Amino acid sequence: MAATPAPAVLKFTGSKYLVQRLVLATLTGRPIRISQIRSSSHTSPGLAPHEVSFLRLLEAITNGSQIELSYTGTTVLYKPGLITGSAAGYGAQGGVIKHELPAECKRGVGYFLIPLCLLAPFSKAPINVLFTGPGVITSSTEAGDVSADTVRTAVLPLFKSFGIENNLELRILRRSNAGKDGKGGGGEVQLVFGHQVRLPKTLHLMSAGRVKKIRGVAYSTGVAGANNARLIEAARGVLNEVAPDTYIFSDVSSAPFVPAPTRENAAAKRKTGLGFGLSLVAETNTGVLYSADIASPPAGGEPPEDLGKKCAYQLLEAVEQGGCVSSVAALTMLTLMAMGSEDVGRLAMGKEVLGTEQIVQLARDLRTFGMSGWGLRDGDEEDEVVVSVVGKGVGNVGRKIA
Amino acid sequence: ASKMHGRKKSYRVTDLARLMYNDTLSPAEVLRKWRGEEQNKGEDIDKDTSADAEDGEDAFFRKAKQNEMDDVEDRMIPDYDYAKLEERWTEESNMASLRQHFASTSLLPNGAGGDE
Repeated sequence: MAATPAPAVLKFTGSKYLVQRLVLATLTGRPIRISQIRSSSHTSPGLAPHEVSFLRLLEAITNGSQIELSYTGTTVLYKPGLITGSAAGYGAQGGVIKHELPAECKRGVGYFLIPLCLLAPFSKAPINVLFTGPGVITSSTEAGDVSADTVRTAVLPLFKSFGIENNLELRILRRSNAGKDGKGGGGEVQLVFGHQVRLPKTLHLMSAGRVKKIRGVAYSTGVAGANNARLIEAARGVLNEVAPDTYIFSDVSSAPFVPAPTRENAAAKRKTGLGFGLSLVAETNTGVLYSADIASPPAGGEPPEDLGKKCAYQLLEAVEQGGCVSSVAALTMLTLMAMGSEDVGRLAMGKEVLGTEQIVQLARDLRTFGMSGWGLRDGDEEDEVVVSVVGKGVGNVGRKIA
Repeated sequence: ASKMHGRKKSYRVTDLARLMYNDTLSPAEVLRKWRGEEQNKGEDIDKDTSADAEDGEDAFFRKAKQNEMDDVEDRMIPDYDYAKLEERWTEESNMASLRQHFASTSLLPNGAGGDE
């Protein structure tokens, strides 16, 4: 890195899109400075616990990253290093990086997994990260994160269309819903991402096809397994009419024990992360995936029947939006396309999916990072837009230098 | 009549291509323009998609309380109004139009409407 002149620092403001910008910075190797992070907030200015934790994760899987925080935490300067993955000698023990999430973490583990999956194909060594600690929530959260099940069944398969398909695995070792006040969990998740590439393949996804099957996972942690049956029954009640091939797995586990030292007993433990939830994935005949996710709120008070129905409606909504990617997957797909070889990739997207703030901002951020602009034109179907993305061939920055 | 005119022009792809890289507008404004809502952004117009209604509400909150913004950031799952969704998907006409997305229904015109 020393031989090349340091590229100019890109400046961003605001706490929104933080993760997406950090990921792009790491992939392109451009240093960024993000200022005014919640600077107008009186109660919690600066970076939130989950964001600090994400920065730590970036530090753990890269070599030579520099992260500078201001005293108030409202400004971050991030100079990315090489993505080394879980190589020996860089903090990995036995080929596994252990990443502990703090108990104050309000975001689900999906918040960390999806960006990590995006970085993993461009790593030098395979990525093997174990998420553990008192802050791992494997269910979906009220903050809008997808559950680990959805990452496993609806996000990891996306990489297949980019030619990244070997040795990808997400193990949910221990489940946990969000704990008290939506903070913390106690779950454990291990991501193994063993397929590294120089460049992802150019993608042409034009036909969304029709939904042929629906799969799902209902989970109960620390509560009666009957909740699963009730969730499944309600969801099937809605979905059976359109998709007879619906199968939802049921997983019942006990709630995780986390240490909760008190003054009397330093070794005290308590159970946390009780609750239930449902993750649904619809697959079309062309392999397009739509997903929906819901979990019981930490405050309780929602019967499983309602949640099951809501999840099913959410899935119908995602199917109705159409296109070859759902909004959960769009960010990952579009970023990987931009990182691809210098060729035009095409992707048909639903207008509702494309027309979200996050995607518009992604288009702008990509351009700021030196990627080419997107071409848009009408799709074959009504309500579909074909997005043409020219790759810049930068996906291999780390591997080329290393 | 002007309202009709405004609605007809919304959601055009060429508009979005033009607006997307216009840095003077925030992403929220771009989308509002694209949907043709610029005249009546605060009002709850008769859009049937809950995403739109939520978006209008969203913008409203952001002006009122800055702190609200921190809570709604970076969602993966859209924050739907589930009562509205239920209403929508229990209506038979909506359901019928959705069926074409599913492989279980026949594409023939006479079989398309059939259910059990």
